Amino acid sequence: MDWDISRLEDLEHYIWRCTACGTCRVAYDFGPPATCRPICPAGTEFGFEGNMSSKGKIAFARGILDGSLEFDEALLNDIYRCTICGGCQSQCQLDHKPFIPEIMEAMRRKAVEAGAGPLPLHKNLTRSLKSYNNPYQGPRRLRTDWTRPFKKAGRPIKDIMKQPAPVLFYVGCTGAFNQQARAIPTATASLFHKLGLDFGILGENELCCGSTAMRLGDAEEFKRLATQNLELFKKLHQEQGVATIVTSCAGCYRAIKKDYILSSAYDEMMDGVRVIHTAQFLYELHQEGKLPLEGGLEMKITYHDPCHIGRHLNKFEVDADGSQLWKGAYLGVSEAECLYEQPRELLKAIPGVEFVEMERNRANSFCCGGGGGVMTGFGEWAAKNAGLRIQEGLETGAAAMASTCPFCHYNLSQGAQRIASDMKVYDLVELLDQVVPAK
Amino acid sequence: MDTATAKKMDPFLAELAGIVGPSNASDAKHIRYAYSYDLSFVQPKLPDYVVMAETVEQVQEVLRLANREKIPVVPYTAGTNIGGLTIPERGGILLDLKKMNKIIDIDVADGVAVIEPGVSHAQLAAALGPLGLRFGWPVGPPSASVSSCCISHGIGGMNARYGLQSQEITSMEVVLPTGELVRAGSCAIQKDAWHSVLPLPQLDGLFKGWLGTTGVVTKLGINVHPAPPILKIFTVSCNTTQDMYAYMFNLSNYEICDDITAVSWWLSQVPIPYPYIPKPADAAEWNSYATTFSWSEKERDARVEIWEKVVAEEQKKGSSLAVTHYPEEALRGRTQLPSQVVGSTKNYCKMGGAGISWPGTFTPAKKWAPVYTRWKEILIGHKLSPSVRMSMYRGVHYGMLRAMIPFNKQNPAETENARRAIVECLRVDLDEGGIPYKPPVDFAKEINLRADPGYLMLLKRVKQMLDPNDIMNPGKLGF
Ligand SMILES: Cc1cc2nc3c(=O)[nH]c(=O)nc-3n(C[C@H](O)[C@H](O)[C@H](O)COP(=O)(O)OP(=O)(O)OC[C@H]3O[C@@H](n4cnc5c(N)ncnc54)[C@H](O)[C@@H]3O)c2cc1C
Ligand code: SF4
Ligand code: SF4
Repeated sequence: MDWDISRLEDLEHYIWRCTACGTCRVAYDFGPPATCRPICPAGTEFGFEGNMSSKGKIAFARGILDGSLEFDEALLNDIYRCTICGGCQSQCQLDHKPFIPEIMEAMRRKAVEAGAGPLPLHKNLTRSLKSYNNPYQGPRRLRTDWTRPFKKAGRPIKDIMKQPAPVLFYVGCTGAFNQQARAIPTATASLFHKLGLDFGILGENELCCGSTAMRLGDAEEFKRLATQNLELFKKLHQEQGVATIVTSCAGCYRAIKKDYILSSAYDEMMDGVRVIHTAQFLYELHQEGKLPLEGGLEMKITYHDPCHIGRHLNKFEVDADGSQLWKGAYLGVSEAECLYEQPRELLKAIPGVEFVEMERNRANSFCCGGGGGVMTGFGEWAAKNAGLRIQEGLETGAAAMASTCPFCHYNLSQGAQRIASDMKVYDLVELLDQVVPAK
Repeated sequence: MDTATAKKMDPFLAELAGIVGPSNASDAKHIRYAYSYDLSFVQPKLPDYVVMAETVEQVQEVLRLANREKIPVVPYTAGTNIGGLTIPERGGILLDLKKMNKIIDIDVADGVAVIEPGVSHAQLAAALGPLGLRFGWPVGPPSASVSSCCISHGIGGMNARYGLQSQEITSMEVVLPTGELVRAGSCAIQKDAWHSVLPLPQLDGLFKGWLGTTGVVTKLGINVHPAPPILKIFTVSCNTTQDMYAYMFNLSNYEICDDITAVSWWLSQVPIPYPYIPKPADAAEWNSYATTFSWSEKERDARVEIWEKVVAEEQKKGSSLAVTHYPEEALRGRTQLPSQVVGSTKNYCKMGGAGISWPGTFTPAKKWAPVYTRWKEILIGHKLSPSVRMSMYRGVHYGMLRAMIPFNKQNPAETENARRAIVECLRVDLDEGGIPYKPPVDFAKEINLRADPGYLMLLKRVKQMLDPNDIMNPGKLGF
């Protein structure tokens, strides 16, 4: 299986499209009324131009390519002080726009190839991936700990390796291993049971999707995991009848949707298999009238868009052959695949819920601060940034913040704690599980 | 600060870190590198240190230290001036002021906002909107600094009505290169009175148009204005510069517009063609938009009536003037300000790539036509689009004449080609009586070559008085 993963050098032309205009610093909307807030977590915390948005990261990339900068400790730190959230990308209007996160990750890949990256704390993750196939140094048997209550209640979850099912619930490492985030697979499985869905999980046989490795610049480790997963998905389709892979993890979803397609064998491996995030899956059921909602939640709720199922799913149109503008010109963006409306519609559908919007939302959502290896590399900052996001939620008068990503869930909870806020943090599935009645 | 940096910190950096805190001072090469270039043709140069100040006291301390050690200081807010003005000529400390970004006061009754240097156009626009107030936003990046634009004699969307951004300044607080804190305007007499620089001697002039070479502005008072709800945009085209000039001259006499601007065909393209392409034969050479705001429909109709009269008068003279449709995207970018699209340089640079510079000048309007003719020859000779803008200023018949020149900055030869063409254009304009704004060093030298010796002597004497050790952004005045 071949992989088309760019090197920094491949992106040099795009790196030279940046004018250093600094538009990527703020989420600004003309309105009227005009709104303006910072968009870059790294710029907000560290402030130097190099830390600031794509403007800064592209400066580093130029310096590395022209030989001015070497991967010393200080540069490495600043390359990894970025959540790869894409907030800056949403603001930029030039031809390199579609490639901005790619440039950031290619810089990390170069650091890893040079033997310098990732950061020491990240190396624990990549070592763990190699030994345990998950970034949390979790023995594989612990992967199913969260399923015990189901077994106990006489509703065991199918092991898809042993029993066929049309739906694979791909849990993801954070949901399986992070104590706090376990609420998410638990609520997802509970919902699926209530809806009478025939589904199974990989259990101890689940491997990390490889997102962590990719975000940290370890392309080799990513390829190893992604290749195994693609082969497994094909096998599950052929032998166990899997036609749909549902995941509640924004990171896994992003990886399978956007990183796996870099494989030359993607179409073949995924033939007949649809990958879908729970937000979309449940939204479709809702649209079809198959998601009964009973009782109510008297709550004022706001929604935090995770980067990975939001703007990361942008589809950029680039003039590949120069037939429209010129070769490589950025032509436009489609947000059709970004899961912006689905979670909002579901939240609004819950009886009693009063939905309020934060100022920075959808493409301009302010990242929780947990992505791109930041939670591991710079835990303090990640939580501090999440505190800023919680603060923004508080400004709306909301008592709860919902999201659709175990990473955001964990980090936002840390943020709320850090600023001693009463804001309750939920995953969408946790809320739905409370109002979908048992059959 | 990173452990490695902390271990081998140089003593001067340690002193800086002692003032602004370790996380706000750096000599790391990659941090300095990100300040070594901008979008202009000016060659990159590294500062030795980068410092972010958060308070006025910190600015004072940094300047005292720099003055003691005779180390250059370059004030910086966003670095988008298009003239390499924050690229350090002689190294030193890059003083980044973006963290000083408080809107200290918006006094609706006085029509004055008091801001710190890091306040951006977008930030101020968001704060003024709910109060029914506005300011003359430039067509630059929304994230750039209002105060830097004002003290650099910037140009905004209300120039025809209220004058240049610098004419909106009502008071200021400045740290001198020697570290003393001074004030100019009414706030110098009564600390909370920010309403006017007049009728005192205009000491604010010591810090406007000086390119950060005389002190660091730490607070600025500016006029803000009520925002009438009804916008009407008059759009016309002409085939000759002379016809366009005559129309703008005529219309400006009635003083009904906030902005009277004309752009050449190349500048009205989104993006500016790079390299040069000929204009289609049936396209007009010039398109103009003029904005006018009204409180009522009746008022708007009266303004329209005046404009129609001007158009009729010009047409009667045999002008090529036609009432026409201005390209939609370009028009939005120029009238919905601050504009993310134009500020992002998309309309200018998307085709050229990374580089943009301008001969941006204040030129007598009667000279627009001859200068444009020469500029066109020069620019086309260098395969560059003559993407020129002309704007009439308040109550006078001179204004902005500017050629926005994108280029491919990845290629040194193309960058040099643009530089040569632009400097050549500048010489033509200077010789016709125009003066460049926000001039890069190449321009400053051209100005000085033509300057009256008395002017240069005075300039140097004032600079020496304020900055005896020549530490503030040295070299930018061309000496
Ligand atoms: C696409 C594009 C379009 C533009 N259009 C316009 C336009 O229409 N009108 C216009 O006026 N400008 C325009 N500009 C230029 C520029 O964006 C504005 O003038 C801007 O407001 C400058 O702010 P800045 O924060 O980038 O200043 P900087 O570039 O950081 O600084 C400008 C100058 O001020 C000095 N300085 C900064 N802070 C201080 C301080 N506190 N005290 C003393 N000196 C200081 C610096 O040393 C430098 O000399 C445009 C730029 C771009 C890229
Ligand atoms: S990345 Fe885009 S928005 Fe940011 S500075 Fe570069 S060109 Fe401007
Ligand atoms: S990806 Fe996010 S954290 Fe990284 S530079 Fe862009 S806005 Fe900042």
